[in-house]
Amino acid sequence: MARVEFRNVRKEFHDQQKGTFTAVEGSDFVINDKEFVVFVGPSGCGKTTSLRMIAGLEHQSSGDIIIGDRVVNNLHPKDRDIAMVFQDYALYPHMTIRENLSFGLRNLKKPKAYIEQKVQEAASILDLESMLERKPRELSGGQRQRVAVGRAIVRDPQVFLFDEPLSNLDAKLRIQMRVELAELHKRLGATIVYVTHDQVEAMTLGERIVVMNKGAIQQIASPTELYAKPRNMFVAGFIGSPAMNFMDAELDGNRVLVNGTVLELPESMLSSSLADYDKKKVILGIRPEDIYGEDFVQNVKVEGKMTTSVQVVEHLGSENLVYFQVGERSVTAKVHPETKAYVGLEKTFILDLGKVHFFDPETEMRISD
Amino acid sequence: MRTTVASRSSSSAFMRFCRDYGWAYLFILAPVLLFLVFTLYPVISALIMSFQHYNPMNTTWIGLNNYKTLFQDDVFWKSMRNTVIFTIGTVPVNIVITFVLSYFIFQMKNSWQTLFKATLYLPTVASGVTLSIVWIAIYDPTSTGLINRFLGLFGIDPVIWLGQSSTALFSLMLMNWLGSHGAGIILYLAAMGGIPKSLYEAADIDHASGWTKFARITWPLLKPTTLYLLVTGVITSFQVFISVYLMTHGGPNFATTTIAYLIYDTAFKFYDFGLASAQSFVLAIMIIIVSVIQFKFLSSDVEY
Amino acid sequence: MHSKSKIIMVTVASVILGLWAIVTIIPLYWMIIGSVQDTTLSATYKPQMIPSIWSVAPFERFFSKTSAWRWLFNSVFISAVLTATNVFFGSLAGYAFAKLKFPGSKTVFWVLLSTMMIPAQVTLIPLYVLIINVFNLGDTYTAIILPGAVSVGNIFLMKQYMSSLPTSLIHAARIDACSEFGIFWKVILPLAKPGLAVLAIFTFVTSWNDFFWPFLITSSDEMRTIQVGLASFVFAESTDYGAIMAGATVGALPMMILFFSLQRYFLQGITIGAVKG
Repeated sequence: MARVEFRNVRKEFHDQQKGTFTAVEGSDFVINDKEFVVFVGPSGCGKTTSLRMIAGLEHQSSGDIIIGDRVVNNLHPKDRDIAMVFQDYALYPHMTIRENLSFGLRNLKKPKAYIEQKVQEAASILDLESMLERKPRELSGGQRQRVAVGRAIVRDPQVFLFDEPLSNLDAKLRIQMRVELAELHKRLGATIVYVTHDQVEAMTLGERIVVMNKGAIQQIASPTELYAKPRNMFVAGFIGSPAMNFMDAELDGNRVLVNGTVLELPESMLSSSLADYDKKKVILGIRPEDIYGEDFVQNVKVEGKMTTSVQVVEHLGSENLVYFQVGERSVTAKVHPETKAYVGLEKTFILDLGKVHFFDPETEMRISD
Repeated sequence: MRTTVASRSSSSAFMRFCRDYGWAYLFILAPVLLFLVFTLYPVISALIMSFQHYNPMNTTWIGLNNYKTLFQDDVFWKSMRNTVIFTIGTVPVNIVITFVLSYFIFQMKNSWQTLFKATLYLPTVASGVTLSIVWIAIYDPTSTGLINRFLGLFGIDPVIWLGQSSTALFSLMLMNWLGSHGAGIILYLAAMGGIPKSLYEAADIDHASGWTKFARITWPLLKPTTLYLLVTGVITSFQVFISVYLMTHGGPNFATTTIAYLIYDTAFKFYDFGLASAQSFVLAIMIIIVSVIQFKFLSSDVEY
Repeated sequence: MHSKSKIIMVTVASVILGLWAIVTIIPLYWMIIGSVQDTTLSATYKPQMIPSIWSVAPFERFFSKTSAWRWLFNSVFISAVLTATNVFFGSLAGYAFAKLKFPGSKTVFWVLLSTMMIPAQVTLIPLYVLIINVFNLGDTYTAIILPGAVSVGNIFLMKQYMSSLPTSLIHAARIDACSEFGIFWKVILPLAKPGLAVLAIFTFVTSWNDFFWPFLITSSDEMRTIQVGLASFVFAESTDYGAIMAGATVGALPMMILFFSLQRYFLQGITIGAVKG
């Protein structure tokens, strides 16, 4: 019964100098019971504010927040049946790990035996048993991270809230913790709301992802759908690395004109909504991994050819990034390392026309297919 | 959708306000109450008093008369002069002394730094009363006094340091020069330690002379500290009282009467609270002007 | 060549520093050394830099002629209470201003801060009238303590200090069902210990050394603090040199001992909240 729902939630901050700033506007969503949902977006997009509003650390300016079957608008954080893991772990430096883990339960005046049992459970889940009497400063970054998670686990909350919990770890540890968190979710079967600015983390952890920008929700979808059918240019550019390329184009029946090059679209791409844009300007989006060098094409059903000169080549080992110019926009292709490419080379690139996206140049919304 | 509306009906806007902010107001309650009673009320009361002939039995409103009396009073002007001379004679001198001492200490090894910091700081923890008593003994006009004894070694006759108008104010200034550098030295050393070494290394690469490094790097980067010491020094010396009260009683012939001492004298010797309040507002305005100048020059460097 | 001039520079600096340190220390040395020589024994004996006859008689006379033990008790008691109230209320308010959001917080803080510009002389007279005539508190501990129970300067220092503590700990404690006062007491205070120590030490020394307000508000001998008592003793007994120096030593020595035992706090604490870089 631990769903989380936002109904038209809005949050404004007032500052005497800077005036009113809207951090979150008209936010509506439902997070289902036992679901792992990731909020992702650039800094200042409102994702952390949304999380804090669920926690009760910030109060929304208007709208309702529902956790389980209760409207929690006026509830104190301690009464919301949530637990939170902070970016900087927020472990109490003057308390031992045991005291850190039990602090919340002690404040709630739970029986001693119960507290002891909960702490032991959490410690064994997270492999912290040997360090219960130590202070946080004696622990490594990864261990502190686990204590922070442990502090949430002992509370047995309906909802776990994670605020960029891995961003202070080094790359290797981050991947390891990512796996551990995914396992933990399966094991606890709890609802998890997770905030990150790292789209890889979002894609690997989230069952559903909420993409936010400038206080507004851009799209809520599964990782696969987010990648395959981004709702607008922001989502398209934010999800995937390197980012999706955009080109100015004009539609003419089943043909697209891009910077003087004519591309013929396959039947599958043509839809009624695209037909509305006939003879009009559109934005064509294509991911770097859907562009190939002419000499190394893999599994492309409908090819679009585009010849241009190579500007920069980056060798990444498993693949190469080739940069070239289309009109005024720079385009990146992620190609097989054996693809021939060097600066100044006139080269023909193959676009997988079955995987292009179209956006309205005014609204930047996806033209659905 | 079945949702129970938790505590919405019971919590009015007021309740919610109390819940969100009540604690914060409670936390600042004690200082705010004390402020209202022991600062705000007295300031307003002093302002009103300065327009009155104050008498516990029969207080009369006399408008600007206190201020008129004040500005026609030779002793007031003399106290202004003394205060300004004392300030000009001590604050810049002390800053130079403090700076030179800090610069020297900075060249030392760490253990020596600590020794000198501690030694030079020591007089700062001694009370004004103690220091005044000791300096009365040092300035003893007979040949018992330490300074007169020292001068005696060179065949100079004993000087009545505190007892004659020509030397009394100077004596108070001399005492001030020899012992109020502790805090300043620590601030300067902290600031000097905060200057990145790379700046000096870059200057070395550019073949800058020692003087250039001092004038172009050290001094400009220490300017905030210097200004801070200047302003706090001026404000403190505007209010110099204990040494005047204990060592000279403002005399001889008002030669050491400072404004702070004059206010005390007017209020608690002559019990003219109205006039004393007027005098205190003149002092307040002088200090506020200095503080505002501080704010203008320092606002970008000092964290509030 | 370069290192040679450096050596000369350091030598000159050391000599000047050494001389200046001696000059700085001499008054205090003169005080202590004056308190262990009994000048009343012979009319011709002058206090010496290195005494030929040591004596504790000046101290005995100082304590027997005055209520110095009572004054010392008063000073310890008043300084201790002022330290406790300033540390507690100063850190509580400093924490509220630094970390809690509430309407008017900035305004209240700036009003408090701006009154720091007003010199004590302005408020002195009404404060005197208020304590003596209105509250009828003249010559009491309450009168000495109450107006200085929380100084704005200390709130300012604590606000500066508290601002540097991580806000996420406060949020974590709030989620951990800690009450708002509990957060301050169980999380913030333990974290702020170094800052509190500095605040406590400086408040204690300032209160111990304070002269003017206790001097103004006390009238009976047994309510005097050591500083006020000392001043009254000097006015009454201007001839007994040794006893006067003994008194001065009694007034200053506790703080000097405190300074040497807590040097680290003194020497680092002064920079809190003063100037950036």
